[in-house]
Amino acid sequence: MRVTSNSFNNAVVDQLNRLSSKQYALQRQAATGQRIENPSDNPDATRQVLDLKTRLQTQGQYQNNISALSSQASAVYSAIQGVQRASNRAGEIAILADGTKSPDELKTYATEVNHLIEQAVQQGNTKFGDTYLFGGTKSDKPPYVLGHDAEGRPTNPTYQGNTNSAPTEISEGVSISIAPPAANSSGSGPRGLLADDRSGADLLKHLVSLRDHLLAGDTAAISSTDRPALSRDEDNILYHVADHGALTARLEAASTAATAQNQSVRKSISQQTDADLADTLVQLGSVQTAYQAALQSAAKLMGTSLMDYIR
Amino acid sequence: MGTRALQAQRQGVEVTGQNLANVNNPAYARQRLIMRASSSQSGSMGSQGTGVQAVSIQQLRDTLNDRQIRSETSVSGFLSRQQSALQNGQALLGETLQQDPQTGTITGVATSGSNGILSQVNNLFNSFQSLSTSPASQTARQSVLNASQELAARLRSASGRLSDLSGSLNDSITADTTKTNSLITDIADLNNQIVQAEAGTGSTANDLRDLRQQKLEGLSSLVDYNTADNPDGSVNITIGGNLLVSGGDVLDTLQTYDPGSGSLMLRTASTNTPVSLTGGSIQGAIEVRDGALKDLQSGLNSLARSLITEINQVHRSGYDLSGNTGADLLTGTSAANISVNAAIVADPRKLQASGDPTAAGDNQTALALARLSSQPITSLGQQTFAQQYTASVTSLGQALNSTNTRIDDQSIVQSMLLAQRDSVSGVSVDEEMTNMMKYQKAFEASARLVTTVSEMLDSVINLKR
Repeated sequence: MRVTSNSFNNAVVDQLNRLSSKQYALQRQAATGQRIENPSDNPDATRQVLDLKTRLQTQGQYQNNISALSSQASAVYSAIQGVQRASNRAGEIAILADGTKSPDELKTYATEVNHLIEQAVQQGNTKFGDTYLFGGTKSDKPPYVLGHDAEGRPTNPTYQGNTNSAPTEISEGVSISIAPPAANSSGSGPRGLLADDRSGADLLKHLVSLRDHLLAGDTAAISSTDRPALSRDEDNILYHVADHGALTARLEAASTAATAQNQSVRKSISQQTDADLADTLVQLGSVQTAYQAALQSAAKLMGTSLMDYIR
Repeated sequence: MGTRALQAQRQGVEVTGQNLANVNNPAYARQRLIMRASSSQSGSMGSQGTGVQAVSIQQLRDTLNDRQIRSETSVSGFLSRQQSALQNGQALLGETLQQDPQTGTITGVATSGSNGILSQVNNLFNSFQSLSTSPASQTARQSVLNASQELAARLRSASGRLSDLSGSLNDSITADTTKTNSLITDIADLNNQIVQAEAGTGSTANDLRDLRQQKLEGLSSLVDYNTADNPDGSVNITIGGNLLVSGGDVLDTLQTYDPGSGSLMLRTASTNTPVSLTGGSIQGAIEVRDGALKDLQSGLNSLARSLITEINQVHRSGYDLSGNTGADLLTGTSAANISVNAAIVADPRKLQASGDPTAAGDNQTALALARLSSQPITSLGQQTFAQQYTASVTSLGQALNSTNTRIDDQSIVQSMLLAQRDSVSGVSVDEEMTNMMKYQKAFEASARLVTTVSEMLDSVINLKR
């Protein structure tokens, strides 16, 4: 083939361009550590990576949900404990208030029970952020309203929440709700924390009745009706303590699973996108050698012509 | 005889000089002086030579190679216009994968430095999830509104940039059409000049033909066409079946027109016949505009439309914090005008997250909205929102990827053809220097002939002294 003066130049420019663009791509891979940067680099892998990225974001959200539920769970647990303390103390008072106590002593107990009623209502009206935890889904107003009689004694506690729950998703298709309603008299759905038809519990009502019997000095009624009623309340609260423990365990398990999944998704993404650094550097090295060889040979050839030899 | 020889050798040096002068002119084809022994005289000894005669200056061109280069230039013009438009399309989506050095997470990062549309879609549904954990919370409500506004803005700006891109492709079609018409006129002019220069002389107008070949190659990067050589040296040009140049006459030109869709197409100026092409940058622009970019635009639009329909349908059935129902969260009909209901933006309490008018803490609607993210959507061909968008992105990536591959192949073909042309038509300095010395020596020898003859004549004249 006849080779002319510009054949060399054109070929050299062409080869150098080609080698430069290879160097550019490899250098970018080495610097970013990624094989794929733009969808056009590898459309199939990009598709998988974008799908995985969506999964990663969704899982991240489930983890956020889990941690939101976890902090709610601690608020719920401390409320349950508060209620449990009140219920335990009321049980003790019901046992202590037997026929051996004077009416004055009984009145003192009654005053304490008044405080226990207030305490239980306060726990039932626990607020987390701007939501009331135990009002079912009517979380914008306090679940319990408490009346007071002329002497300032708490009376007539009324539940104004509902018995619905607002479950939160902790993984695809799995949702749980942490806070039970404070009262459920419907016989179905989540069990009420303070009052529940199925277990016969109604702590506030029973506390009021205990207080009234204490004031009236009716120790017989206390032992015959209040004591068994309060023990049903205690059982109900124990049920909630156990239930809460189980829920917390589920949350923890879900969180561990989410972290594991998260890591496996990250690993898949990295398999799709990461450059093999050793391989990239070896390739870069060989392209660089070729580039230098091209420059050197071109410089030698382009510098010589017949002109150098004729005078 | 001596004079003729001197003239011929001098002409040889001139042709060499012309070749050397044009060594860096890419349109130039090297020329060669054709010499012939001048007509002999018959005498008593038989026919006797009368020396040399420079007959013509021949241009070295391979017409087949020229034709191939023209057609490959069309393909290159077609592909490179597509490539640059697709690159722009890919860049405006901002779905670049970048590794976050801190966490090793791959994030979609736009040129502006914030997240791409896919992340925004996911963020929106995640914000619904967050809302479902505390449906009455003002913070959660605000973050839903932020996420929806951000997504809407993202879609609007991507759609706007895509329209701009289509607009600039239309501009390039118009500009290329103008260039095509001016090249057509130039070629017809050159046809005229070539016919005039060559008429009756039997020689070829080499430099005019070089120029015409250059114009023809320029034309082929814009449109694909057929040529027919006329016996008088002119070339006819047919574009898309329409004879536009016949000899020295421009029979018709091209013009752009809007068939009603806002997307410019090509037709002949006088007969209004739509012209369909298969190569060249004009067709490249038309195909990428009506192909990959239009698909992307309609992908974005159907994503936006489905988001608006599906989210509103669920949102309408929910209740806000005051128990009101029936409001839409998103407004608009496409990616170009998707927006968030201003009344809700002004008062986040109006976000309808609850499924129970009497219970603010109910999260049924928020949960239903969040669950939309993993549901196959009928209007998106049973894909989820994220899947549909990912498919749009990857099909654009696929289009760019295959264009890049074709351009790589094409550049190999093109440089091979150019090397072939160079080997036939290119000027070699070494070769021309050798020729120059060759002609110089011949010139010296011819001059010596003249002096020798002159000395011989002197001898004859001096015989009498």
